[in-house]
Amino acid sequence: MNARKSIGEIFGFFFFLGRRTGKTRVFALLGLIPVALAVVVRIVLHGRSGDIAAVFTEILMVFFLQFYIVILSLFYGTSVVAEEIEGRTLSYLITRPLPKPAIVLGKYAAYALLMFLMVAVSLTPSYFIMNAARLAEPSLYLTFLGYLGVLGLGILAYTAFFTFLGAVLKRGILVGLVFGFGWENVIQYFPGSTQKFSIVHYLKSLLPYRPAGGGGGRLALLLFKLEPTAPAVAVLMLAVIAGVLLALACWFFRTKEYLYEE
Amino acid sequence: MTAVIAATNLSKWYGNVLGLNDVSLEIESGITGLLGPNGAGKSTFMKLITGQLKPNIGTVAVRGRKVWNNPALFAGIGFCPEHDVFYEDMTGFEFITGLLRFYGYSASDIKERAVRALDIVELTKDKDRLIRGYSRGMRQRVKFAQAIAHDPEIVILDEPLSGLDPLGKRKLIKLIKDFKSEGRTVLVSSHVLPEIEALTSRIVLLHQGKILAQGDIPYIRELIEAHPHMISVRSSDPRALAARFVGDPAIQKMTFGADGRTLVVETHSRDAFFGRLTGAVLEGGVEVEEISSPDDNLQAVFEYLVGK
Repeated sequence: MNARKSIGEIFGFFFFLGRRTGKTRVFALLGLIPVALAVVVRIVLHGRSGDIAAVFTEILMVFFLQFYIVILSLFYGTSVVAEEIEGRTLSYLITRPLPKPAIVLGKYAAYALLMFLMVAVSLTPSYFIMNAARLAEPSLYLTFLGYLGVLGLGILAYTAFFTFLGAVLKRGILVGLVFGFGWENVIQYFPGSTQKFSIVHYLKSLLPYRPAGGGGGRLALLLFKLEPTAPAVAVLMLAVIAGVLLALACWFFRTKEYLYEE
Repeated sequence: MTAVIAATNLSKWYGNVLGLNDVSLEIESGITGLLGPNGAGKSTFMKLITGQLKPNIGTVAVRGRKVWNNPALFAGIGFCPEHDVFYEDMTGFEFITGLLRFYGYSASDIKERAVRALDIVELTKDKDRLIRGYSRGMRQRVKFAQAIAHDPEIVILDEPLSGLDPLGKRKLIKLIKDFKSEGRTVLVSSHVLPEIEALTSRIVLLHQGKILAQGDIPYIRELIEAHPHMISVRSSDPRALAARFVGDPAIQKMTFGADGRTLVVETHSRDAFFGRLTGAVLEGGVEVEEISSPDDNLQAVFEYLVGK
């Protein structure tokens, strides 16, 4: 079987399996939080469209961009390899006529799509509930697709990073936790080029979001100091991050021996 | 005959722990039993020949082709892992069909093979139940089914009988024997001697990562020169029979059985003893009702070899 078909079959297997797991149910439920929030905001801020838009931007930045896609990618990305080791099911995969990189790529793709669907299912109602007054505006839909695209790119880049960690480290999830909720949260507020050593910087560069009021206040620098990268470069950087880390994950998975803990 | 599986000076260690030590072995078609206590290196050997581990020293080849990172080889190999692990959120049927997809079969072929494999292991009725709800016996059988569903030429079974009740064991032993009768190569490991004995007489004894002996049971028995053969002869007059062998240099020791009708002889030269016994019978005056070798079984051989 060629590599493409192998990836496709692995994708099918794990996309099917992924939908069944308890982990997916829990994370799908987590995705209902912004939907519930959207309903509440819509009721409380009824008629104040400017305020609603600002609240949605905060939900997008804080919940989706800096929490939901990070935690999803962390758990699914590290599990691409690690759950096979911890569950000792790796033997079922590597004793098949499949190139080892196809296992990583197929499973990565399956989980990335699964996460994207969870994000879409969460984002779509919350966005349209909050913007219900503007449903006739075509720009509303374009903005929505833009948000979805950015979150999709975020999933691809973060999941590639966490897949790499899971392939290399025994406890990749711990390092991933520090990276996802430590490094990523701190480094993006550093001025100059330092912030470019984070994935979230490139994702934020693709969003139309800017701090309300354009700064001011003594804490503004700490709260948000984005020096955006050009959108085309940001997309390219995210693609390079995902591509390189996935290639490395595949290489490690192909060459490394994985031992079950006795 | 060309070896199906060949290991040459194979060594594998985990940090400071030696898993396998300079093992050279050739496995031909038919059933070969890999026997040894826990930690003997059986699973390490099986993981090496299924490409799950990479040798530190030496080589391992299946049909002359290297194993590590050679996925094409696995189209003809079925592996049943030791651990009781599955994708628990799948049904038995989904598990088998899911894994069959990795061989490039058409959808109808996958279904047909899965149905056949589940039928062989008598799980047709339960095929649509989640694996997490299966009994231990059913889990072992579905594990065996995934190893044979693609009709492999070589099947490697790591402790397949572990945890099964006697009936389950008997069923699985029959399945393995049936599978072998189709001219395939089966390598099966166990730390339980009667299990291997029930499956095959061709065995490889592993202990502390080394091969202690290999061959069929009588052959291995011949290798143990330090230990005399024990032969039990039931006769109407065992004392008269014993009198014929007094002073015979081939005999080390003679004792009488508790039933008063059995003479138990220990000898280093089984052939010489049988020759003399035949002579004594032919000369007359001695009747022999039954001859058996109480220590000509795997338990005895294994205990001798590991020096218990």
